[in-house]
Amino acid sequence: MTAPRRLRKELVDLQESSLKSFRDIKADDDNLLRWTGLIVPDNPPYNKGAFRIEINFPAEYPFKPPKISFKTKIYHPNIDEKGQVCLPIISTENWKPATRTDQVVQALIALINDPEPEHPLRAELAEEFLKDKKKFVKNAEDYTRKHSEKRPAD
Amino acid sequence: MDSDIEMELESDNDGEFDDDYDYYNTGEDCDVERLDPKRADPEYFEYDCLTVEDIEKLLNELVEKLNTILQITPSLAKVLLLEHQWNNAAVVEKYRQDANALLVTARIKPPTTAAEAASTSAAAAAQLLRLSSSSGYRTSTTLTSSLTTAASGNLQQQPQRRMCPVCASTQPNDKFYSLACGHSFCKDCWTIYFETQIFQGISIQIGCMAQQCNVRVPEDLVLTLVTRPVMRDKYQQFAFKDYVKSHPQLRFCPGPNCQIIVQSTEICAKRAICKVCHTGFCFKCGMDYHAPTDCQIIRKWLTKCADDSETANYISAHTKDCPKCHICIEKNGGCNHMQCFNCKHDFCWMCLGDWKTHGSEYYECSRYKDNPNIANESVHVQAREALKKYLHYYERWENHSKSLKLEQQTIDRLRQRINTKVMNGSGTWIDWQYLFNAAALLAKCRYTLQYTYPYAYYMEPGSRKNLFEYQQAQLEAEIENLSWKIERAETTDRAVLENQMDIAEKRRTTLLKDFFPLIGKT
Repeated sequence: MTAPRRLRKELVDLQESSLKSFRDIKADDDNLLRWTGLIVPDNPPYNKGAFRIEINFPAEYPFKPPKISFKTKIYHPNIDEKGQVCLPIISTENWKPATRTDQVVQALIALINDPEPEHPLRAELAEEFLKDKKKFVKNAEDYTRKHSEKRPAD
Repeated sequence: MDSDIEMELESDNDGEFDDDYDYYNTGEDCDVERLDPKRADPEYFEYDCLTVEDIEKLLNELVEKLNTILQITPSLAKVLLLEHQWNNAAVVEKYRQDANALLVTARIKPPTTAAEAASTSAAAAAQLLRLSSSSGYRTSTTLTSSLTTAASGNLQQQPQRRMCPVCASTQPNDKFYSLACGHSFCKDCWTIYFETQIFQGISIQIGCMAQQCNVRVPEDLVLTLVTRPVMRDKYQQFAFKDYVKSHPQLRFCPGPNCQIIVQSTEICAKRAICKVCHTGFCFKCGMDYHAPTDCQIIRKWLTKCADDSETANYISAHTKDCPKCHICIEKNGGCNHMQCFNCKHDFCWMCLGDWKTHGSEYYECSRYKDNPNIANESVHVQAREALKKYLHYYERWENHSKSLKLEQQTIDRLRQRINTKVMNGSGTWIDWQYLFNAAALLAKCRYTLQYTYPYAYYMEPGSRKNLFEYQQAQLEAEIENLSWKIERAETTDRAVLENQMDIAEKRRTTLLKDFFPLIGKT
């Protein structure tokens, strides 16, 4: 199986690259196919907190795409209440074996920072985002304060 | 008047000396007598039933023709033909105009960079030829050495090794393969990737493994690397399906387990009947033949009728048809931006519009609740009226459909009746055979009549609809007459019955001639 070798390399590369917006990257002790990490967005209203995500790799990785889910609740048009996220780069149709996890994470961070209300998972939030941005920002900030994790000090 | 009678007498004479007539009349006269079937019969349709081998031969001939003109491998020729509806002339024309653009749009080459854009079509052609060489996909050692020797000169002595970006293992250079885009991956990764894709039903649409690269993997590379016979077979089956589907003149026979492929140069909603399994279907959409209704309307109607069943409820609630290729898509989560797995069309789940027009117009489809259909349904009276109208047409449609399903029973009953009659000494078995012809014609007329109801349902009110419903009523009446006469026929009624058959069939063809949408156009 190619998954363990590739994942080990990707994990080391990601940890060494020490991204500001994606930290605390760990694989489960007993399962290299399940990673967790902390998303630290730059743009308001999400720049008041940090969000824990889980990346699940299939056994067929990298020939099948990983799945991403949010462990921290987030008020975002593209992430639903269960923490599911719709990210084209990891959809079955678009998946390419050469796509690296850091590219996936970059795409995710870009989506968090700049929501795409054109293809929402939560239509009501997308509507609020487009119609009443102020209200959306306030709600999202309140929500972030209440539910998100503390941002790392540095 | 007089001349009319004379003519009748004359034609009667002709009838009496039928054999002589054939001998002494020249071909010219015969031609005048014979009507052009295309004009006489609105349902006349020329087609061939071919086997998989016939089609393979036909496609291979097209491929070979292109090979000899452009001097490329069959594998590339297939891709080019697939992208151009198997129109050889179109490919050659585009190739002569701009070979580079042709290769880019067929996804054989990556989009050209500014620097390469300066190169001429001749250069592109040269590249195409290089791609076509048998070892074309093996990442060439000369190319890599020219790249790496720039960095260090002594690499020539030791076998060169590099890391595959997919499996992250280091392997000798000769294990690497790449397409025209130059993205190079090891043999094992390509192979597993191909098998994964084939397992998902993807064949000729397999693309390069690199992120953002959509260069297509040609058939010969897949077949070089995939060695498991099961997977090779699957790949070839899927590819063949895609080739046939991309050819405008070919249709798979929809009969269960039937391998026949129907070919016709006339692409229209006429009935083709498979010569092997005898399944009749509309050549255009592949559904049951549905004249005079057209393909879209019958689709709409059948979905509407099926709405009662649980499956249909699920299908309408959770699936939609791709607006481009009409394949059924189930939404199993995710956002409203859908990409059809079959034709890769991007569309919006809510409004089924092209996704390209979205972005700024999201509000258009969030107003889904204001859908006129739903708004109407909330108005009680309108809903009732609509239901009444639907039921009117549906009951008649369903009635004829049921009658047709009972056709075998009708024939059995007929046979029983004939047996009793023959036993009782009224006529011989031969005398009664005409009744079966009448029953067959009855079924044929009923079939058309059944399909007039969806047509009428979706017609705009007006004089044309009035005319249509008038003709429909006439047909209905004659069919009932025929049905009644068949059930009560005696041996002596043969002339009456045959007259009735003629009337019913005339009514049917008249209606088709006036309203079968294709007839007016062709």
